[in-house]
Amino acid sequence: MSRLITRLSTLAAGAGLCLALVGAGTSAARLEAQTDASAPAMVEPAATSGAPALRRLTESQYRATIADVFASDVPIAGRFERGLREQGLIAIGTSMGGMSPFSFEQYDISARSIAADVTSEKRRAQFVPCKPKAENAFDAACATKFIDSYGLKLFRRPLTRDEQARFLAVAKAAQVRLGGFHQGLEFALVGMLQSPHFLMRMERMEKDPARAGAWRLDAWSRAARLSYFLTNSTPDDELLRAAGAGDLDRPGGLQQQVDRLLASPRVEAAVRAFFWDMLQFDGFNDLFKDPSIYPAYNSNVARDAQEQTLRTIVSHLVTDSGDYRDLFTTRKTWLTRPLGVIYRVPVATRNGWEQAEYSAASQRSGILTDISMLALHSHPGRSSATLRGKSLREILLCQKVPDPPANVNFTAVDQVTRPGSTARMRLAEHNANPVCAGCHKLTDPIGLTLESFDGAGTFRAKENGVALDLSGSLSGTKFTGAQGLGKAFQENPATPTCLVDKLYRSAIGRATSDGEAPYLDYLGAKFAANGYRLPALMRAIALSRTFYAVTPPPAVADGKKSTKKEGSS
Amino acid sequence: MSNHVAGRIRGKVWLVAMAGTCLLAPAILAATLPAKEVVPAATAVPAMTPELEEEIVRGGQAGFVATEFAYALGPDAKDSTACPAGMTGGARALIEGLRKRPEGQRREGETPQAFERRLSQTINTAPDGRNLCLNPEAGLPDPNWRMVTGSNIKVGGIDLDEGGKPAGSCGQKDFPGTDGKPGVDNQFYRVVGCMTGFQSSGAANGFQTEMLTGSWGILIALGKVDSLTNDPDIEVTISANADPVQLSADRKPLAFATYAVDRDPRYRAVTRGRIVGGVLTIDPADVRLHNVVNGAYTDRVLRDARLRLVVNPDGSLEGHLAGFTPVDAMYDVQFGARSARTAKGDLAPERARLNTSMGRAGALGYSCHGAYHALRQAADGHPDATGRCTSISTQYRIRLIPAFVVQTQTQSINAPLAVR
Repeated sequence: MSRLITRLSTLAAGAGLCLALVGAGTSAARLEAQTDASAPAMVEPAATSGAPALRRLTESQYRATIADVFASDVPIAGRFERGLREQGLIAIGTSMGGMSPFSFEQYDISARSIAADVTSEKRRAQFVPCKPKAENAFDAACATKFIDSYGLKLFRRPLTRDEQARFLAVAKAAQVRLGGFHQGLEFALVGMLQSPHFLMRMERMEKDPARAGAWRLDAWSRAARLSYFLTNSTPDDELLRAAGAGDLDRPGGLQQQVDRLLASPRVEAAVRAFFWDMLQFDGFNDLFKDPSIYPAYNSNVARDAQEQTLRTIVSHLVTDSGDYRDLFTTRKTWLTRPLGVIYRVPVATRNGWEQAEYSAASQRSGILTDISMLALHSHPGRSSATLRGKSLREILLCQKVPDPPANVNFTAVDQVTRPGSTARMRLAEHNANPVCAGCHKLTDPIGLTLESFDGAGTFRAKENGVALDLSGSLSGTKFTGAQGLGKAFQENPATPTCLVDKLYRSAIGRATSDGEAPYLDYLGAKFAANGYRLPALMRAIALSRTFYAVTPPPAVADGKKSTKKEGSS
Repeated sequence: MSNHVAGRIRGKVWLVAMAGTCLLAPAILAATLPAKEVVPAATAVPAMTPELEEEIVRGGQAGFVATEFAYALGPDAKDSTACPAGMTGGARALIEGLRKRPEGQRREGETPQAFERRLSQTINTAPDGRNLCLNPEAGLPDPNWRMVTGSNIKVGGIDLDEGGKPAGSCGQKDFPGTDGKPGVDNQFYRVVGCMTGFQSSGAANGFQTEMLTGSWGILIALGKVDSLTNDPDIEVTISANADPVQLSADRKPLAFATYAVDRDPRYRAVTRGRIVGGVLTIDPADVRLHNVVNGAYTDRVLRDARLRLVVNPDGSLEGHLAGFTPVDAMYDVQFGARSARTAKGDLAPERARLNTSMGRAGALGYSCHGAYHALRQAADGHPDATGRCTSISTQYRIRLIPAFVVQTQTQSINAPLAVR
């Protein structure tokens, strides 16, 4: 039995009614294998996979795609529906959520604003690849060039003949009715931008020539999956060229593209998008702090707090190519003046960001003590050891802590200002109820070590005049305070394992199955062998066969349903 | 100290409280300091927690930013015997007087608006034709001006002479303090105490709006400080704040924000000080602060300025900043804006200076030449070779909260736009 399994069993046994502690998308068996030092599977196991995905673009992907296909200043007038978070990730929710009428209405608004700008008199020379013979007549050759060019970029594959003909017909009809050739192009572009082939990443599959009876994504879908994974945006011209030329099927061809993308600054956007999702920063949309208790918390702080953590992550993991586990102990951070008020530190830079370093005497420890973690997982008027402990387990260790029962009595813990009391004391009273105690054994030993930070993230030595007891434990390891907690996370084998799980699940947009456990173990071993460097892990995923492997629906696999045109399913 | 980040800061960091300089003017501000003088708990030993003191004093430095700033004056005329001869008449009284003379009658064909404008121009014009707000010395003392004459009016402030009146004080009498101690030098109150604009509900009673909207501010930095309760020798820097005060959503200043000192050394006064029993005092220093009203830039000057600030348990400092303001500087900053500058430092257009000056006079209830002569009459400091006093004792109430004071480049990112 591995060390981790032992710890999980201990946790579960101590959890009373909280025996539901489970890995979210991670089987106990996999964790066992992953943490067994004798089993670093450095050879990629036989690919096991899921069905091809139908994934909706996230807001950040939509915006990045439009910026890359056209330009960053092309206006996107519509609003975006809130992402559906499933199994801890909005990335998984993109393949599970529906599309509401409101959302489609907003996509329509955006499509019209984008198309109007792109084909406007002011900008058409920039975006339209040809000049029509006359503005008041339909130029089929020019229209075809425009539609083929943007069809490829927006659909992430060449248009079918039917699609090309349909958009050409739209362009011609609009030109006839409205008079202008570019007005025709505008409506053809609106049609493409409203198409589910743009709004959704529709993966298509083909038989894998290297493995009899197996299926894989076609080259265009592989390029799209790769691009959104490594850049959070649409394939660039070079990647589309490579996909069209069959380079991704040739030895070295895929590696060349992967290394090219990983070396580009665009990879930072992918890392930001992933951690924004993993750390659940969408929660800031709903975060409220009582201004009479936390006057320094405002919208600037909410904005900068997210950026602080993302900057720290990018500079540590990408710029410095640091060890992922050190994110929980690093003293380096980034600050703005609004953040400095809560951290109570000077920030000389008047407008913008400056890199800073926690002093040796500081109680801060890596991203665990960032405002983005401390404030996001607290109540509007007080800190919460329970919310913090629960969130850290779920977000960083991939462990699920059950929600409290509906009839729980919060009286004791809500008496925040009771003289002479601390959160530890109040929780002890609350936990006298065994119904509550089970789950709190999982959350509070973590969260109470962060009690030296109030609900907005400001340091405090005492609560209600009482010195704080910051002792705690994680997976059997005892420690004190936030720095001890940071070290415990740094050393916990579930920390990198969870990142591997979440990064891979984010990349493929679905939960993993038990059958994929050997592959995740392989990734974990590669991650460890590369010093827990995130770019190396991303490279390992991007170069693996499994990343592109798919399992067709039974009907297709049995050959009962014919494949579509161009040999794709 | 346990919980701070050592930012990579270009230069020295002071933990300070910043103070706003005051301005005056038609722009009316609601003072948040108590409308009437409150006696600071000077004798109480502050019960600041060691943790808070550790947060404020870091590496021998502590900083504060002014969040409240106003003239320290005596009681309102209606509540005291300060103005037995009534209130200062101001421009309105001069116009009423003019109406009784032939040249104050409406002329045939003259519109009402033109008539009122002519009356205003007449009372603001010297016999030689110069405007009296821009040339107040060309006019005579205002017969309707009323000085505070009551003999035992308690006023806010501190003793700038530290006990006895020096020979060069031009015979002005001190006031008893609100704390019961004699010797408060506050001749500015004698000048304005009978003016409607300087009553507790008046327009010139505070400068919060401009200060909190970032037009100007005041910082105080303590160096070589070990304790906020007792420290016999500390370095004290009073400077202009180059940054706007950081506020909460309900517009309350936030403690522990960072502010940069003005890069112009003229706006930075360094002196020695001490904290005894939780009360900070300093050796006299010449202080110059910014004052901005309606885009008109002037300086608020104090010669031989002193501080007396009580350290409160919440880490704030509260008390008085006082000194002698040269009469001409006081006239320029508070009454006639004859030397007002633009943001770029050029002399403001004459029309802007005229309008600002006459607007102030109307809003606060005085005549420009009357103010100038009253300041001269009440001056009690810095006598010239003839023995005539050239400055007037001025007291400000001030409150500051903990802040970080830094030395850094303060050029605005919009500077290139400003010099176009």
